[in-house]
Amino acid sequence: MAKMKIKAKEKNGIVKVKAMFTSLMADKEEAIKKGISPSYIRYIVAKVKDAVVYEVTMSGFMSENPLVKFEFKGNKGDQLTFTTIDNDNKTETDTQKIK
Amino acid sequence: MDRRKFLGVGLAAFVAIVVPGTDLRAVDFRTTMPQAWEVEKTVDGIKALYGSGALKESPKLSFKAPKLAENGGSIPITIKSSLDLESVALFQDANPRCLSCVFSVPVGAIIDYDFRIKMRQTAVVTIVGKERGTGTLYTASKEIDVSIGGCGG
Repeated sequence: MAKMKIKAKEKNGIVKVKAMFTSLMADKEEAIKKGISPSYIRYIVAKVKDAVVYEVTMSGFMSENPLVKFEFKGNKGDQLTFTTIDNDNKTETDTQKIK
Repeated sequence: MDRRKFLGVGLAAFVAIVVPGTDLRAVDFRTTMPQAWEVEKTVDGIKALYGSGALKESPKLSFKAPKLAENGGSIPITIKSSLDLESVALFQDANPRCLSCVFSVPVGAIIDYDFRIKMRQTAVVTIVGKERGTGTLYTASKEIDVSIGGCGG
């Protein structure tokens, strides 16, 4: 269901990552207003070679289709793996090569 | 440990439930600290998450946010810090629950996080960072005006 778009670019040893996740991010109140069931991503983690580079736990008060940007020290060609967990404990994983 | 001390000073009932000495890598705060996500006020939220340690203002921890947000559904926030923090959290008073997100920062990471939050009304946004090792709490806060109806001004 939830799709993600990941862009990762390396420059001078620093990798800049932009990632977008598809989610309504509807918390309890908003879900009632819209007449849908709550649906939000509650946990995102990014890993390179099994080392955590980015980790966030969030509530439904992030914007719809959350877009995150961050930087870390890394190398070209490595695989960047994102995992998200939503409020129903559904997990999604996607991998992208660092360019 | 500092972490235990912090929690010890905090709410007694809270301490009883939280498992102390949690591994800081791969922490899902939703499962380790479910109470913190239900609190309404920022002050109580900080206590629930970090304990009642003194908060220090520091120029090394700052965040960028628009003064006037035209769209309360998507307010861009950028957190920057040169401190060695183990976690950073964002609280606001605008929504029914104050905690928006908690970052757990891996060792040696660059703290430069860009994301967007939702706010229903004008409120103060507070960022709290916990330093690795010492457990000192740093904070920064700013009031963000949210215009209802999507028109600036």
